[in-house]
Amino acid sequence: MKPRRHLVLVLVLASLLASCGGPVFHLTSPDNDQTALTAALSRRQLPEQPAPLNTARTPRVFVLAAGGGGGKAKQLIAYDLQRGAILWKQDADVQSRIWVGGNFIVELEGKQLVARDQQTGAVKWQTDVPGEFIGATADGERAYVAYKANASTWWLAGYDGASGKQLWKADADGVLGAPMAHGGIVYAPYNQQWLSLIDGATGKIAARIRGIDEGISMLRVTSRVAYYGSKQGVFRLDAKSASGKRADSSYVQLVVPPQLDKTTYGRDTYDPIQNAYTAADRSRILYAAPAEGMQLDAYAVHYFRFVFGFDHSGTLVWAYSNPRVELVASEDTGAAIVAISQTGDLVALDPANGAVRLDQNILTGAGAGLVLGATFDADGWSPPAQGEKTETVAALVSIARDHDARFDRVKELAVQALAKLPGGEVTQELLGVLADKRAPQHLKDVVVDLLVARKDPASLSVLTAQLAAHDDFLLQTEPLALGPVAKAIAGLGGAKLDPAALSAALVALQSHLDAPTTQVADLVFVIDAMAAIGGGKERPALGSHLLLYHADDDLGSDPAWDKAIVLALENHGGPGERELLRQVAADPRTKPSLVAIIRDALAND
Amino acid sequence: MWVLAFVCTSGLCAAAPKPGAKPDRKGEIAQLAIVLDGGDDEAAAKAAATLGESADPAAHEALLDGLAFGLRAPVATEALTALAKHPAPPDVSSLKRYSTHHNPTVRSSALTALSLYPDPVAHAAVVQGLHDPAGVVRGAAANAAAKAHVREAIEPLFALLARGEESAARALAAMADADLVRKLGDQLGKVPDASLALCLGLVLRRPDFGPDAERVEVVRAIGKITDQAAVNALTDYLDATPKNPPRQSRAEAEKMVEARLGGGAK
Repeated sequence: MKPRRHLVLVLVLASLLASCGGPVFHLTSPDNDQTALTAALSRRQLPEQPAPLNTARTPRVFVLAAGGGGGKAKQLIAYDLQRGAILWKQDADVQSRIWVGGNFIVELEGKQLVARDQQTGAVKWQTDVPGEFIGATADGERAYVAYKANASTWWLAGYDGASGKQLWKADADGVLGAPMAHGGIVYAPYNQQWLSLIDGATGKIAARIRGIDEGISMLRVTSRVAYYGSKQGVFRLDAKSASGKRADSSYVQLVVPPQLDKTTYGRDTYDPIQNAYTAADRSRILYAAPAEGMQLDAYAVHYFRFVFGFDHSGTLVWAYSNPRVELVASEDTGAAIVAISQTGDLVALDPANGAVRLDQNILTGAGAGLVLGATFDADGWSPPAQGEKTETVAALVSIARDHDARFDRVKELAVQALAKLPGGEVTQELLGVLADKRAPQHLKDVVVDLLVARKDPASLSVLTAQLAAHDDFLLQTEPLALGPVAKAIAGLGGAKLDPAALSAALVALQSHLDAPTTQVADLVFVIDAMAAIGGGKERPALGSHLLLYHADDDLGSDPAWDKAIVLALENHGGPGERELLRQVAADPRTKPSLVAIIRDALAND
Repeated sequence: MWVLAFVCTSGLCAAAPKPGAKPDRKGEIAQLAIVLDGGDDEAAAKAAATLGESADPAAHEALLDGLAFGLRAPVATEALTALAKHPAPPDVSSLKRYSTHHNPTVRSSALTALSLYPDPVAHAAVVQGLHDPAGVVRGAAANAAAKAHVREAIEPLFALLARGEESAARALAAMADADLVRKLGDQLGKVPDASLALCLGLVLRRPDFGPDAERVEVVRAIGKITDQAAVNALTDYLDATPKNPPRQSRAEAEKMVEARLGGGAK
């Protein structure tokens, strides 16, 4: 077939498809048309400043809680964040998350999409979902539902928010994801690669974006900004989105530590499970875009009980650890990180430093059970800052000492962050992890490496204090992390140390050098540490130690000990120590392995 | 002559001295010192013992030198014992150094030797030995504490008694005076009955402990112990003491035993 005839055939087929009323969502719609996109975006009715969506513009959180016991139904609770009071509560068998409209909310009860009055919680209307529920959303005026009618047809329908009357519906020949509404425009993910912008009043496609180098499976909407993307990164929806490419869009991939795996930028619109509140809501990257673009100064990660704050480079700068129970929902309002716990504790954190601006239980007296999930309608809101203290060290310590085995990797992150902070207090806390018999060994290994790498002179006295414990039958004590502590002290070699602290450290180290039960594995670190910081004061003790054991069947034949003691005296000693080594090497009783090491060490003399 | 004989049998003597020749003591000691520092543990241990027998300060110096340069465990054990045969103040630092040796036998020997030195440093080392993780070392330290009457050791010895350590019971018994006996009596219920009975029983059998009024107090203290070990302690006391001249302590002990055993006269 000639090219011209082929083109004609395609045009004819396209024309036929259009004339016979094909699906609204289909593969051949125009993509990435900047003019259409700009026009569609400009039609959104968005507030001038970040603000809650509800008509009263009052910050609220809508909570779904389990019944208070005795087989009671679930409870829907509306809470006024501004006043700090429950607006209303209703028993309702809610099967989904809650979507907030202007003066109503919608949620799924059984097969029914139910709209409730936002002031009272009373049912305004309800309607059948005529297929498999894919997702719902709402804006000031309308509610929208996506559902799957059969194996090959999906629908998106618009309903009047006041009456529940269906206004329109549009079909799709491919998979639709859960939609999100935004000021009169509905974002409808399609076939993992497209994001359609639908006129909420008519159901007509206003524009469509095709992700060229990244799929589109995530949607998040705030009062003024819409975000889309995938697990890999997040786009800001703006005129640049018409490029379809990361490089030419407002796009960012935030650095999330590997210990916080499975965190996402927003809900997966293609995962029907996430139409309800799930564990996915407990591991979320929280962010708020600047006025334009996606260059974020900071962001946070909500990870079950914890919230971590990062700067633009991905450095952890603060942490919050919620006592005992997990945070089940969270949101970055742009002015605060807000979250609610399983037991109804509402917390608001300063996004800059993690300071706790609000911590109050919103379910006190409500007779509700555990919180299953919540939807915040609080964009731009924050409790007033009142000079709250940041408790990052305490939070990191709390995380590191947590005994919940699910968070072992998070504990690594916490100790790594702790180790970057200066001061003896932090060292003390790290040592506390080593002393904790229930702490996982891998975490202890990480702490040891961090202590060694820390090289914090201010910590010497803390490390020395840790050496106070000895193997003592009567006191029932034993050295705690002797090797690691000695290793950490050795790491201070060359640093300017307080003379008094240095002397105390040498005394403490020598007490372990001389102790009868110090194991070789620890002894070599003790020797290294004495040599590293001693500045010559350690030589008599080390020399005496060498003499005492140079012919010993156990120590004298141990290659690690041989090497440690010889190098300590050879590298850090003077002529006297080298002469001592020569004499020991000449002693017929000296173990051959030790003689060999001494000869190697003195080879250049 | 015996020193020389040892050196010769050790193969260290080039030629036997002529009969009647005056022994070269310094030379002998020098030879023993060489053997002490040699690679033959058995010969070195014998050399240490031999040096210990000598009252010559040079022999003592040889032992100190050998210990200073480091002796293998079996040799060190002998050398420490030998050193203490002629105690001198400079020995203490050497003995203390070996009192924390990795080898428990060496530690025990050092602590035993330290009991012969009325020196606070020696006493402190003995007290520290009571904390040793090795039971054999604690035992040696307890014996040393008793031998040297180390008052600072009493508290840790009580702690060891509470853990049922027999060496502590024996040490406290050896050190006990009337005041300490009262303190021991107060331990009833705080330490194992058997240990307390053993300790008080040993006090009772000490010929130097008295007068009898104090022994009576001991008997009464034992009488409060319900364990069979109390009866054993009292029976041992009865067995060890003659009926005449009559002693109140014996009479009370006899009554207690009869009462416990249901009337069988001793």
